[in-house]
Amino acid sequence: MTLIDKKLLNKILYHVEKPGRYVGGEHNMVLKDWHSVDTRVALAFPDIYDLGQANLGLSILYELINDRPDLLAERVFSPWHDMETAMREKNIPLFSLESKTPINDFNILGITLPYESIYTNVLNLLDLSGIPIRSTQRNTNHPLVIAGGQACFNPEPMADFIDAFAIGDGEELIFEIIHAYQEWESQNSEKKTLLKKLAEISGVYVPSLYEVEYFDDGRIKRVFPVTDDVPNIILKRISPALPPPIKKQIVPNIQVVHDRIAVEIMRGCTRGCRFCHAGIVNRPVRQRNPEDILEAIELGVKATGYEELSLLSLSSSDHTQILDITKAVYEQNKSRRLSVSLPSLRIESFSVDLMDELKDLRPGGGFTIAPEAATDRMRAVINKPLDDEILFETVETIFSHGWLNLKMYYMIGLPGERMEDVEAILDTTRKVQKIGRRLHGNRIRVHVSIGTFIPKPHTPFQWANSEDPESVQKKIDFLREGMRQSKIKLSYNRPDSTLLEAWLSRGDRRLGQVIEQAWQNGAKFDAWDERFQKDFWYKAFDETGIKPDFYINRLRDLDEVFPWDHISTGVSKDFLLEEYEMSQRGETRYDCRKGCHVCGILDCFSDIRPNQNNTYWGCP
Amino acid sequence: MNPITPFRVRIKFAKLENLRFIGHLDLQRLFERALNRTGLPLRYTQGFSPKGRINIASALPLGFVSSAEVLDFWLNAPVDLQEIQASLQAALPKDLQILDIQEIPNKAPSLQASVLSSEYAIVFPVIYAQDDINTELRNILAQEIIPVERRGKIVDIKPMITTHAFYEEGVSTILHLQMDSSATSNGRPDELLKLLGIDPADVIIERTNLIFEE
Repeated sequence: MTLIDKKLLNKILYHVEKPGRYVGGEHNMVLKDWHSVDTRVALAFPDIYDLGQANLGLSILYELINDRPDLLAERVFSPWHDMETAMREKNIPLFSLESKTPINDFNILGITLPYESIYTNVLNLLDLSGIPIRSTQRNTNHPLVIAGGQACFNPEPMADFIDAFAIGDGEELIFEIIHAYQEWESQNSEKKTLLKKLAEISGVYVPSLYEVEYFDDGRIKRVFPVTDDVPNIILKRISPALPPPIKKQIVPNIQVVHDRIAVEIMRGCTRGCRFCHAGIVNRPVRQRNPEDILEAIELGVKATGYEELSLLSLSSSDHTQILDITKAVYEQNKSRRLSVSLPSLRIESFSVDLMDELKDLRPGGGFTIAPEAATDRMRAVINKPLDDEILFETVETIFSHGWLNLKMYYMIGLPGERMEDVEAILDTTRKVQKIGRRLHGNRIRVHVSIGTFIPKPHTPFQWANSEDPESVQKKIDFLREGMRQSKIKLSYNRPDSTLLEAWLSRGDRRLGQVIEQAWQNGAKFDAWDERFQKDFWYKAFDETGIKPDFYINRLRDLDEVFPWDHISTGVSKDFLLEEYEMSQRGETRYDCRKGCHVCGILDCFSDIRPNQNNTYWGCP
Repeated sequence: MNPITPFRVRIKFAKLENLRFIGHLDLQRLFERALNRTGLPLRYTQGFSPKGRINIASALPLGFVSSAEVLDFWLNAPVDLQEIQASLQAALPKDLQILDIQEIPNKAPSLQASVLSSEYAIVFPVIYAQDDINTELRNILAQEIIPVERRGKIVDIKPMITTHAFYEEGVSTILHLQMDSSATSNGRPDELLKLLGIDPADVIIERTNLIFEE
């Protein structure tokens, strides 16, 4: 092991922006003796510290691994441009924050892939570490490179660069992977042996053990394993119950996003919104008990000293004991200065009751709702039904209970969307503003946030096409003008910057060349709106002879083999197709807690379902 | 609103290694959270978004180390000083070391209002010859004014420099400087180094003392 030259490092840190990103040394950081453990894992979030440090998945793995005496985990993030330039100039390889050890000296490098626009940063992170970017170029002198996270449910675009993907919840999987690594290491055999060993673990996908056959028109004919002893379909892993909450969350020394205590109160969602990737891939719904939540908060406050808490879930209102939880959280924290946020509330008066419970804990906070669509027709298409009457009633309650700032989320570019659906967004928000003004005059603020719909793999809309950026831009221009006239704040993403997500999210293995070429052309930090340059990507498509339109403009055939079909979330393709067809007929489906729609989850996982008295699952 | 008589505590602390790259506002937040972790009854400011009542004497520029930082905080009840020191030290990152602790009368003037100047020790690596730096520094100090640019404005830093002296310590050369650190006149040793043609990143700049109005 070679340590980084501290003097040289200090010299460059003196000149870079926010050097606190690169030094570690935070409260609750774990620094172990390098030689006291058998296996060392570097956990990477391929964007800057400020964005990645609070990532819940990595924080859970960091603590779980470091709890084991024979293992250590250290963190690494992408350096910002100024730091990267200085490191390359001085030949300093990428290093971990804890012991300042070069990443190439670790046994395993675990990278989180939360979204697609982070892919070029993965290549850059490997390159800065002196690790060859392609899996085939790496040997036993390099760390085993594994990836996990929400984007891994379609691993194919990154198949050339990652040795093995962990599909689904990583809490158990990580130890099985490390165990396989340790067994292999003691045998002193070639890397191929390790990859085969990993492929035997349920939930691990080793892309080099699979091949893809294509039709002449570019569609996939089949994806098949190259040896008999690996599975045809890789079913994701789930934790039957939520893992214990983090005991010692790292408290960053500099300000980062989501700088607060995070307590996951529920994983998964039963609502069945047809655009929602997280809602499908995180099934089944698993809840944490109120007592465990309160204990986690108590531990969290004592271990971090944070003044802010967020209760995390995809749909807070759907926790079966949510009112009890908010009441108890208030009682627990009323005498200390802790502001509590409860995201993702349903649009109904009950949500206002929940927020009322926590109101004294968070003076001045706003209220957020997500109608997503503004006409009954579009609401049926996306399966997020909502009566306008209830929307306005809820808004009235929100304002009359004293909230003055209301944020509303909408989506545009949805399948089958017409201009009248977009106009309705403007109409609705104007009415909402009127209700607020009637009660409080000009003191109220309405803030509308517009997201561009992108069809995601494993969702009912995986067969749909994305709307072209020009036509999305027209809709945005219309909304911008209307909102400006009414003095409603509007935020949105540049349609251009959603292109990348659209190409990659339903991409196949061939896009690996495009990603590599785009990175060579200079693409990185693509997730940053002001950094993303589509020209790097168009040039890369051009240079590799791959057509970008193939991935975006095409309505998929109903019987098409998708690049991600061999990765199973437990939800069957038949169920998704049924949903897609219902969407086209404008039919909705009720929340599956009220009755099972046989999505496939229980078929896959009912044998590990815990006793309902201990751990509640949303499935009937 | 807050009827209890506050208990004002002053600590002197060292800021070392990794923490030298943590700025003033971040340090303020870090101390607030550390005090929260101790469970000590930290007093809060009144108003819309209350903050822990913490007062750092003088912002230390990013990259400097220090063995002489001073900070006041207020508690809602008296607590044994040794107990405070032990629990706060346990809640701090290891690169912040408490050196001294004392109770301060509530009516004592604020730290920022009474800080006058700082003493710095600048450690040059062997590659720098003491004589050269010495001569160069003398030349600069002999000027009528010493202009440096601060945010687009030209400032004369000559009146901010009180004393300077060179020492040899082992193989290193150490420059001791005393410069103003008040709200109206704040000298920065790194500015002087740049005038000497030295990259401040190549040397270690340590604040060794803070001098307050008696």
